[in-house]
Amino acid sequence: MRRLAALVAIIAVASTGAASIDQCRSLEFDDREAAKVCFEALLADSAPAVRAEAAWALDEVAVASAAFRAAVAAEPMRADIRVRWGELFLEARNAVEAKALFDEALELDPQHVPAMVGLARVALGGFDVRAEAIANEILETEPGNHEARLILARLALEADDPARAEGELEGVLAADEPRIRLEAFALRAAMDHLADRAPSPWEARTMALYPGYGALYETIAHFYIITRRYREAIAQLERAVAVDPELWTAYGTLGMNLLRVNRFEDAYRMLTRAHDGAPYNVEVVNALRLLDDVLAGWEPQASDGLLLRIDPLESGALASYATDLTTRALAVVGGRYAYRPDQPVVVELYGRHEDFAVRTAGVPGIGILGATFGEVVVMDGPSARGIDDGFDWASALWHEIAHVITLGATNNRVARWFSEGISVLEEWQTGPSRFRVADHPPGRRAVPVNVIEAHREAKLLPVADLDEGFIRPRYTGQIGVSYTQAGLVCEYIALAHGRDALVHLLAAFADGQDTGAAIETALDLQPGDLDSAFAAYLDDRFADIDTASFRAAAAQAHGSAEAGNWTAVVEAAERAIASYPFFVDQMSPYPILADAEDRLGRRDRAVVAARTYWQAGGRLTTPLSQLVRWLTESGDLDEAIAVQRALALVAPLNRDHRADLGDRLLAHGAAREALGEYSAYRSLQPHDQANAHYRLARAHFALAGTEAARREVLLALEIAPSYTDALRLLLDINAAANETADP
Amino acid sequence: MVVATGMGRYLALLALVVGPAVAAAPRMLIVAGLGGEPGYASAFLEQAEAAARAAESIRAAVTVLTGEDARAEAIRAALADIAPDATNDLVLVLIGHGSYDEEHYRFNVPGPDPTAGEIAEWLLRVPAKQQLVVLATSASGAAVDTLEGEGRAVIAATRDGSERNAVVFGRFWVAALQDGRADVDKDGRINADEAFRFAEQAVAAHYEEAQRIATEHPRRVGRTERFALAALAEHGLAAALGDPALAPFVARRDELLAAIDDLGETKRDYLEEDYFARLQELLLELASVERRLEQP
Repeated sequence: MRRLAALVAIIAVASTGAASIDQCRSLEFDDREAAKVCFEALLADSAPAVRAEAAWALDEVAVASAAFRAAVAAEPMRADIRVRWGELFLEARNAVEAKALFDEALELDPQHVPAMVGLARVALGGFDVRAEAIANEILETEPGNHEARLILARLALEADDPARAEGELEGVLAADEPRIRLEAFALRAAMDHLADRAPSPWEARTMALYPGYGALYETIAHFYIITRRYREAIAQLERAVAVDPELWTAYGTLGMNLLRVNRFEDAYRMLTRAHDGAPYNVEVVNALRLLDDVLAGWEPQASDGLLLRIDPLESGALASYATDLTTRALAVVGGRYAYRPDQPVVVELYGRHEDFAVRTAGVPGIGILGATFGEVVVMDGPSARGIDDGFDWASALWHEIAHVITLGATNNRVARWFSEGISVLEEWQTGPSRFRVADHPPGRRAVPVNVIEAHREAKLLPVADLDEGFIRPRYTGQIGVSYTQAGLVCEYIALAHGRDALVHLLAAFADGQDTGAAIETALDLQPGDLDSAFAAYLDDRFADIDTASFRAAAAQAHGSAEAGNWTAVVEAAERAIASYPFFVDQMSPYPILADAEDRLGRRDRAVVAARTYWQAGGRLTTPLSQLVRWLTESGDLDEAIAVQRALALVAPLNRDHRADLGDRLLAHGAAREALGEYSAYRSLQPHDQANAHYRLARAHFALAGTEAARREVLLALEIAPSYTDALRLLLDINAAANETADP
Repeated sequence: MVVATGMGRYLALLALVVGPAVAAAPRMLIVAGLGGEPGYASAFLEQAEAAARAAESIRAAVTVLTGEDARAEAIRAALADIAPDATNDLVLVLIGHGSYDEEHYRFNVPGPDPTAGEIAEWLLRVPAKQQLVVLATSASGAAVDTLEGEGRAVIAATRDGSERNAVVFGRFWVAALQDGRADVDKDGRINADEAFRFAEQAVAAHYEEAQRIATEHPRRVGRTERFALAALAEHGLAAALGDPALAPFVARRDELLAAIDDLGETKRDYLEEDYFARLQELLLELASVERRLEQP
């Protein structure tokens, strides 16, 4: 029957000389080759909009875009042409251009429903909370609009609310338009997959309607991706390109997800195919550029259970720290949650944030600084964003490794809030910048002021809805608030129910339970009861904190510091600390208090302020450098080294920090560690290369590595033959070697 | 203000020690241009004075022009007076603000601002065959092509004339003249090449640490390493170099340094192992000689 319809259409084309776009589209369901012939005939149509549609159908994106441009120029008042052009950009993953065209269409016709649908889809793709509002607006204008229902169904499914999704799809499954029905079937199939009912009967129904509908598997894959089940997503995407070998978007998504599971060669192959078929997919182009121009020059460093990828210019300074942090985090955090990855962990550190963004999302401009895909951690390195700009890369790496643990322990089924909560908690309690103020409850890190205020203004989300705070924030700063809230929930659970309760929660998530069920299973509580108890805990935790006074006093202290009124700084900073002790984030009063006390000649008090800042987790380099100097001057060398270690760790690309730490360690008899610092220093290409070699020689010599020491000192003297200290060391090395050689 | 110091025996010996590639102490003219505002004016003056103090450490003949004295005509006259013969090298250091109007680089001083072309013309009349011009000013990269020439090296704070913001290069340039870390060959002296590389790295670090886009990218052309600019106070051999009793050791030291230099030139002719064995042999003897020179 279908064959017959196709034949009729082809005959129509032959007899009249041209079919319509709709006629050509109807052929696609049955005979793709016939459809192609049909579209090719339309490439010569006199109307540019028709040519554009035909070219688009034939994957000639550039031709299509040029034709749309001509169509818009010819008929500038037609909103529908701009909408179709926008949809072309949307398919090419260029949301910015797409949105601009939908906006233009709405300027021409504020009630233009397809333009509103386009905007809703842009919002949907960007996890923008406005998608729901736009869809509802469309339904007010046109209550029977199936596209709006499909968007609401997707949103419900993304929010892990399958019942609501099912309701939205109810009338859509019987829609007249096959394209709409197919999308609804695909969402039902995805719903089944998310509920572990695979294969879904909706897959067979979809294939019966349109055997080449690869978007079915693309849709299922999308939901596996957003629930971080990348291997399952890859399997679906492979099915997508099997049934539709020209589904270029699926190749692109497949390539991106193969990267996420560290299958670089396969990923490159798929991305190349995607690019060959659709050269204008922004994500694909970006990913291929990243692979060709950046990652091709990176030499992966494999060690026991770990694979590092670091910019070669920074590798010498970062590799040992990254290895040590990862190994320790796997042991410490893995031990606390009884999980050890059975595959090598991959850590990639990017020197440019936009490279990290492309690696993570295919496009630049994302707000996050780190991401974990199962065992693969990708994140900004310290040169992408520095500690004095608020990015503690070492603590962030600890955070991401905690994700490796929680994702691995649950086969990626852990709720986002819980995974983030554990990661935040581990930063506070076991991470390299953890809270460790003496005589104070361990791990009780001071949280950002806006979190306390959000709690007092009842803006914290119920735990069962906390994932929404990460995915679709509804107020400025909500993502950050949600991270901290998640950490605080985990902190509370561990305190109230014991640390094992966190492990039990992980086990419940591993069983496929959602947040509500997992809480009931692991804590024997209803989620609402947990919310109430948690709120009471926060009331107590924040009871003595006066955020308004803190803000005012901290601002006053900083203002006085700018004016150089150090007595006023001390007075205001102490008031700020009394209002909110141990606060070490932006606007912390401790650094300026320490500085002011020192300027007033009260070094002891300055040391107390700087030390408290450090122990509470503060990591700005200026106060830590001051503390190192003060401790050195007072002879507290052990503590000076401890602070210098923290300083070098958070600012590992600072040559002076690395060399200074090496010097202190060597003087302290820790030659092995000093050697590591000097190696890092040398890798950072200091101006004084002879001195860098000389330092290495000293460390080797202290470790009785006579030949390595000789090699380094010769390299120093090759550069600077008059280097007196190096000449003396060469004599010493020679003497030591002769002593060893003599019986 | 004009400061002039003569060359002494110390300098002559030092020149002997460092070998033929490096000339005798230069004649130097240091000019601090208009600051425009008090902060810049005092900074430029301090930098000029620090550069002059550094030059004194190698007994260079230094002229410093600052404030109202730093007019174009005064610079021209000072250049004519400072290097009356071709024996000594000439170093001209301009510290301050510069400008570029898409045609001419100008150094900002009281009165008419001299252009790069005018400065080049004045320098042509100076007999010194080896000259170095250091432009620690904004937009100074625009002057490089005009000023460079046979026997004249140029160091500029900026890549070209489009980098018009006030520069920090001057601050790090004078810091290099006093910092042992700048002395990469550990000969106890800072030459222009060492100072440039130290300052270049410090400028980059300055902008990186301040999380700001770098608005200056220093550049140099010509052989800058031959120009000695400062001696480090802590270098220990200076006293020994004037003692006739130690002359044989000084001579041997020079021979060994020359031999090491020659060895480096022919490094590719050796197997690596043989090269380092030979280098070590020379260095061990050098170490023994230096130890002897250090003994009172």
